[in-house]
Amino acid sequence: MIFNLDKSAGNPVGIVVLSVRVDAHNSSELQKAFVHWMQYTSSFVFDCSGLDFIDSSGLGTIVSCLRKALEKNGDLKLAALNQKVALVFELTKAKKLFSIFESAEEAIKSFASPMTA
Amino acid sequence: MKTLIIIRKPDYQWIGGYFNEIHPLLLPLCNKPLAEYLIDFAILAGASEIRIISDTSLSDVEQYCENGSRWGVEISYGSIHSDDTLQTAIDKNRRFCKEERVLVISGLLFIRYSKKRDYKALFESLPEGEILHSEGGSVTLTGNPSAKESGNVPEELSLAAVDSIKGYFDLSMEILQRDADNYVLPGYGSEEGCLIGRNVMISKSAEIRKPCIIGNNVQIHAGSVINSGTVIGSNVIIDRESTISGSIVMDDTYIGEKLDVTSKIVCGSILIDAEAMTSITMQDPHLLTEIKQPGYTGHLLQGTLHAIIAFILLMVLALPFLILCPVLILQGKWINRKKTYFINRTGGKGKLLTATIERRGFAGALAAAISLDRFMLLPKVLTGRLGIIGSKPLEVNPKAPMPLNRMATYRPGVFSYAEAEAWPETGADTEIVDHYYRIHGTPLNDVSMTMKALINRNHETSSP
Repeated sequence: MIFNLDKSAGNPVGIVVLSVRVDAHNSSELQKAFVHWMQYTSSFVFDCSGLDFIDSSGLGTIVSCLRKALEKNGDLKLAALNQKVALVFELTKAKKLFSIFESAEEAIKSFASPMTA
Repeated sequence: MKTLIIIRKPDYQWIGGYFNEIHPLLLPLCNKPLAEYLIDFAILAGASEIRIISDTSLSDVEQYCENGSRWGVEISYGSIHSDDTLQTAIDKNRRFCKEERVLVISGLLFIRYSKKRDYKALFESLPEGEILHSEGGSVTLTGNPSAKESGNVPEELSLAAVDSIKGYFDLSMEILQRDADNYVLPGYGSEEGCLIGRNVMISKSAEIRKPCIIGNNVQIHAGSVINSGTVIGSNVIIDRESTISGSIVMDDTYIGEKLDVTSKIVCGSILIDAEAMTSITMQDPHLLTEIKQPGYTGHLLQGTLHAIIAFILLMVLALPFLILCPVLILQGKWINRKKTYFINRTGGKGKLLTATIERRGFAGALAAAISLDRFMLLPKVLTGRLGIIGSKPLEVNPKAPMPLNRMATYRPGVFSYAEAEAWPETGADTEIVDHYYRIHGTPLNDVSMTMKALINRNHETSSP
């Protein structure tokens, strides 16, 4: 996981590049790191371009991150989901919870314009 | 008229990426294997003999279709080389083809036809040569026509190549939504557009919207919705509050709680988006998983657990049996009977000693309450001839033989699942309850069901 702050949209947006797998083995790591990142911003983009596998534990963690961001009046948007990972989001109805964008750039831009968020 | 079905590996290579263990000819289209559609068509075309040849093993197809007596035709099997052309394949089967008219179906094909039409006369009169062609294969007639009048290939006859996961999905949906009446599909239905198999449990709060097809041994749990355009195979569980829409759920699949399956194929733990030709193998058993039939280890575990329970019961009940049995025999309240029962589903027979206890009086009531009437059956569990719990033993009656072929899951037990569920012992109902638990039960479930049977038998007014 790589985290960096992007200020191109005005307010700082936390960009998290997810690793190849988010599952029971590393989801707690993401959970802990997210609490730490919340100190910098409550607006996040999870760049899923490198994510190839997610299980229910990973999915639960991402939903939990979304909840934490929403509690702080922020948001968590997903970008560049591959077809396999999108299938899991669709199957579990998690797709309805998130704003999903084709690329991380589009997701960052959406934080600048409330109309597209 | 004869029919030669030729299938080669290149015709179905795509299947391996999705359904690894299914032979292409057994690929289910609306819960009916593709081979059956081809056989149905061959019969309509007047075939009395069918030969299936392939460059790979046909053992699964042979096991399913056997010698064809189920359809009233003769089915044989053969092999070809992968590089053999259509003509070489025909030449290699000259003994089968002889000089007769042969309908040659080559490729993994689905033939659209009308069941109302008799194609026999037409195929006897059409000239030799290819009559239908698609990218996935062809249908050809060989041999000279026996009738003089020559007809044309009717419009409704066309081919659908089953050459991709998308082709397979679209074809299944086409059959279900447009042509379900035209092909004989498995299942029972009191309403048009809805076919339901045997041993299907649908929760009262579940919704089923037609057209849909549901196979055998299916559980649809509370709050689930089966939307129109859905095919559910056999041995499937749809857990609570899940929605299945316009999808195919293949055999032996568990769909977890609160999931949404829309326009997908689910095969065990594999979720397939046919449109995008993408699939993912789930590793979460509570999302999607394959329902595995108990193998040798499962049976061994079950048998061991049953033997342990039987041993414990033998130890606990030995003393009461030694005291109460002679007393009740002297009082005339204990009557032993030795009868012949079916001891397995293949029709094996064996003698079982059962007892009838009259409940009147303290000793009779106590003996019945602790199921002493079944005590003499317990050693049979230790030898593996009976389960501690299972189907109600069926008595052999030479005048009215039991339809054991209907009882694929028959395994007699000291106690029956129907007893555990306090189900009235009225033949068919008992069979259904026993069948349900034989399919869906687990070794641990058997322990709790045995306890339930022991407790519920306590409330019986007579024994056994």
